[in-house]
Amino acid sequence: MSTSPITETTSRVAFVTGAASGIGASVTRLLRASGYRVTGFDLRRGEADLNIIGDVTDPAGVAEAVAQTQERFGSLDVVVSVAGHYEMLPVDAISDADWLRMINVHLGGLTTLLRCALPGMLERRSGRIIAVTSELAIGGGDHDAHYATAKGSIIGFVRSLAVELAAKGVLVNAVAPGPCDTPLLAADSPWRDRAYLDTLPARRLANPEEIAVAVEFLASEASFCVGEVISINSGAVI
Amino acid sequence: MSRQVDRESLTLITGAAQGIGGATARHFDTLGARLALNDREASPALAALCAATDAVAAPADITSRDDIRSMIATLTSQHGPIGTLVCNAAYMTMAPFLEHEPGDWWKIIDTNAAGTLRVIQEVLPSMRSLGGGRIVVVCSYWGLTGWPDASAYAASKAGLISLVKTLGRELAPEGIVVNGIAPGVTATPQLEVDARAAGLSVAEMHRQYAAGIPLGRIAHADEIAAGIAFLADRRLGAMIGTVLNVNGGEVRARA
Repeated sequence: MSTSPITETTSRVAFVTGAASGIGASVTRLLRASGYRVTGFDLRRGEADLNIIGDVTDPAGVAEAVAQTQERFGSLDVVVSVAGHYEMLPVDAISDADWLRMINVHLGGLTTLLRCALPGMLERRSGRIIAVTSELAIGGGDHDAHYATAKGSIIGFVRSLAVELAAKGVLVNAVAPGPCDTPLLAADSPWRDRAYLDTLPARRLANPEEIAVAVEFLASEASFCVGEVISINSGAVI
Repeated sequence: MSRQVDRESLTLITGAAQGIGGATARHFDTLGARLALNDREASPALAALCAATDAVAAPADITSRDDIRSMIATLTSQHGPIGTLVCNAAYMTMAPFLEHEPGDWWKIIDTNAAGTLRVIQEVLPSMRSLGGGRIVVVCSYWGLTGWPDASAYAASKAGLISLVKTLGRELAPEGIVVNGIAPGVTATPQLEVDARAAGLSVAEMHRQYAAGIPLGRIAHADEIAAGIAFLADRRLGAMIGTVLNVNGGEVRARA
């Protein structure tokens, strides 16, 4: 049997969107602790090796940040698309602008990032792409139509891109968190109600560190995972 | 790599003498786990692997409740409670459904589905005494897709997927985290058996399977082992009742 294709993680380079808080901040912390050099891209400054302020819906800003990363670190091995936007609305109250914003941040943010990062990965025939989707994309949720649609589109996109790129050395996978204890979840969110938490097999919210463990697995190991969506949702959807 | 598996209590791996189980034993050994390695009998292969991984040999046939009970009693009395369980032991033969001899057909179900259930039942008191644990069940992507001439095997593995989901829900409140892994075709001695049965060379068997896999190759056993270790990571308590697909993209569906 030939040797294991599992790669060494030392001195690899990662680009994380939404890196300043919540899941993105945990991912940044864990990847750095695992030996990655990390660019954090967010609306505000985070704690990555290279912190770039910008918006994932701004293609020029993303392109500039990816270019800076490649210039600074000489490579880009892993992209993690975490930046997101969440709000709950009844379906008839979702305006065109609300729909567009959801799609632009999630599917637009991921595809813009890949237009910038993928050419270098394909050239080197090596790369890992990790998207953050949501349990709500799998199970749906009350007052979550636009969010679930945007996150659902990530799953279809990830699985298709995964098949297209696998033989070219680029592995594409996703993580689907359930309600997670992050700033995206308002203090008065119904997901924080004890009555709701008691319905969950885990009896608690997921925490961002757990999502980061899955992202690190997909970034560093998982060499036979293609188009996989890892659910960490406290058992909300099984 | 920062994988954090249980290093205090015992980790029991069933069907550990070769293939995915053997690779998992070696992988957990590098992560510092205290291992007990089960296989159907005390073979030289099991002894050699135990010597290499500083593990306790725990031979027992998982189709026998008595065998499992006495194995667990011996392990826990001599080495303390079991905090992590990897259910990997399985049996497989392939034949068209009506040609599959019923005794052999049921032996597959009895080993893979009922055998796994028996092992979990007998290990639970140990995990409860610890206030929690990690259980990883090796399923198969054939349990999702079905496969021609593998009716018993696919049914047994589909049963395990449902068992993972149910026990995931049932045991999570106690801190016992149950997840599964659904490997795609993996380079193991079982594949050599399948190749012989099909009258093919191993290389030809690999090539035929690889043709249907977007990644263009079959899995190495240590890639499955890395997935099992991820599922057993002590930091993960909110990942419950999931089945991790490790199949090179052949099946992109939620188990």
